[in-house]
Amino acid sequence: MTPLRLRQALTLAWLEARRAFLSRRSFWVYLLALFPAFVFFMHGISVKIQRDRLSSRGVISAALMDSVRESETEAAVIARLGKPVNDFAFDRRAKQDRALVRRVNYFDGSRILVLTFANGVLESKRVRTLVNLEEDRAVFAMVFQNFYLRLAVFFGCLGIFVNLFRGKMMDKTLHFWLLAPMRREVLLGGKYLAGLLAASLIFGLGALLSFRLMLWEKPPAELALFWQQHGPAHAFAYTAAAVLACVGYGSVFLATGLLLRNPIIPAAVLLLWEGANPFLPSMLQKLSVIYYVQALCPVAPPPDPNMPAIMQFLFSPANPPSRLLAVTGLLLVTALVLWLAARAVRKIEINYSTD
Amino acid sequence: MNGAEVILEDVSKFYGEVLGVNRVSLHIPPGITSLVGPNGSGKTTLMNLMAGLIHPDRGSIRVRGISPRDPERLMRITGYATQYDAAPRSMTGFEFISSLLALHGHSRSRSAQLAVQALERVGLSDAAHRKVAGYSKGMRQRVRLAQAIAHDPEVLILDEPLNGLDPLVRAETIEMFRGEAARGRHVILSSHVLQEVDIISDQVILIANGMIAAEGEIRSVREEMHEHPSQFLVRAREASRVASLLFLQDHVTEVRLSEDRQGLLVLTRSREAFSQALASIALDGYGIESVAPVDENVDALYKYLIGGEPS
Ligand SMILES: Nc1ncnc2c1ncn2[C@@H]1O[C@H](COP(=O)(O)OP(=O)(O)O)[C@@H](O)[C@H]1O
Ligand SMILES: [Mg+2]
Repeated sequence: MTPLRLRQALTLAWLEARRAFLSRRSFWVYLLALFPAFVFFMHGISVKIQRDRLSSRGVISAALMDSVRESETEAAVIARLGKPVNDFAFDRRAKQDRALVRRVNYFDGSRILVLTFANGVLESKRVRTLVNLEEDRAVFAMVFQNFYLRLAVFFGCLGIFVNLFRGKMMDKTLHFWLLAPMRREVLLGGKYLAGLLAASLIFGLGALLSFRLMLWEKPPAELALFWQQHGPAHAFAYTAAAVLACVGYGSVFLATGLLLRNPIIPAAVLLLWEGANPFLPSMLQKLSVIYYVQALCPVAPPPDPNMPAIMQFLFSPANPPSRLLAVTGLLLVTALVLWLAARAVRKIEINYSTD
Repeated sequence: MNGAEVILEDVSKFYGEVLGVNRVSLHIPPGITSLVGPNGSGKTTLMNLMAGLIHPDRGSIRVRGISPRDPERLMRITGYATQYDAAPRSMTGFEFISSLLALHGHSRSRSAQLAVQALERVGLSDAAHRKVAGYSKGMRQRVRLAQAIAHDPEVLILDEPLNGLDPLVRAETIEMFRGEAARGRHVILSSHVLQEVDIISDQVILIANGMIAAEGEIRSVREEMHEHPSQFLVRAREASRVASLLFLQDHVTEVRLSEDRQGLLVLTRSREAFSQALASIALDGYGIESVAPVDENVDALYKYLIGGEPS
């Protein structure tokens, strides 16, 4: 590639990316990208509200909380720990047994102690954490793979990349690009770069933001440990997975917009193809985007326990490739698709009237 | 001389079943060449083929020796103002022209400079920094013309470039075409109104039903046409003043005022003298809004040349 061609591609990429960012049509792309961030933000808010409410009713020290022993009396515990944050009593009737039950909660800033007394004697003691980092990370992994990669990035790239050729044909401005002294392949490259710039910024930042918000309002000690161990690597892996998904889906939808008149049906087929990926023979699994991108996710989401038996039987995710293989495989698939697109772009014709 | 001509050899283009153009062969020398034909006759198809926006099903095309399949070289020497009325509406005229110039590899400042020059040449300097969305039809026409000339191409292809221009701008635009032609450049334009272009053209190519109906013999046909009076419809705010001024011209044989007293039907023996006279009247004011040849003469010419109704 000569410097002039490179400059043309970059100039075009910049012009088009600016339009992709600012166009009113991109609004729902932003919505898709920000949805998980919004969910984790709301979760954080609710945790915060709960904590504030509990804190305002009194916080005890962790040592005090751990000091409660089996068979202590209600009066002794209340005298030592003070006024509980929640307190309610009820009559329990089971067969001959009749008891006055009192259940109280104490809060040490991050854990909630649940004590149940029957007739004035401690019957059971449970501790649960207000927030659970492990659990939320698993939820994040699930949201990221099942919603973000499979739906949000998929449809976002559909919107951004199909628009680059198909949309310009629709609004009758494609010919202006064809009138520039550029090889068609340079045009294709510039447009792909433009879409990639827009999509990976939007979805990369969306991934990073939702990851950050998932960690919001978590116990500081646990959080500090997480950041020391896996935090940065995971943040990077999720962002990279989102960006690589844009690389892959972007090429596919760019080619779709070039080769096919109506992108809706191929998009539906692709959605099914990618969705059914773990059910496909392992050879075919490798001909997809999700297979590679999934392998980059640091936390595997738990398998769906509600899956019908027949599907569990068919469910045969191929062994995930190593990181390096995943990235290489994805780039190979992308290169193949872009090569097909380059063949198509050389034959592109302006055809406004019949749309 | 071949290297400096636009050559089409036996070019055909079909849109599925629909005929675009059929077996067209042309050798177009530099100068002003007009493609004239009714709507749907294949003018736009021919121009799109020359600019490489579509590709022929058969035949070959060379634009000054360059194949339209090589846009990288072709578009350096070619400027094309299409008929598609769709400049990107969210941009200003200046942004539109300069961003396309940037794709030629010009620096930012050079692109800006060339864009300013091009907009000035089409008389859009005042509107350069307004959004194209707010332009009138004539202004959008001119912004596309500016885009075509901005990189100073050797071959200018202009699809119905005079459509929607008011008389004054039209005269200036024609002057620009003449200037380009005088510099040895190709100016290939199209029109569905023969009278609009035949006086300014060095060559007229008549096209009908996707085929070349006549070429070269046009001069003699034109002479013949000259002997018959041509009719023009003129609309002007001060139509009656214009009528009296026109009537003083000895080539004008008849002037009729319309009922709303804003329109004139003018019969003239010389279209050339008429358009000059009207241009100088327009310069003095009188609110001239439009001039249109009354088409029946074109129809007559088509009948004569093609031996049938224009479709
Ligand atoms: N994209 C297209 N698809 C199908 N038919 C077309 C297309 N463009 C032009 N045509 C047909 O080709 C013929 C020539 O059209 P065109 O070149 O636009 O004529 P003109 O510019 O002289 O009005 C017409 O019959 C028109 O309907
Ligand atoms: Mg046309």
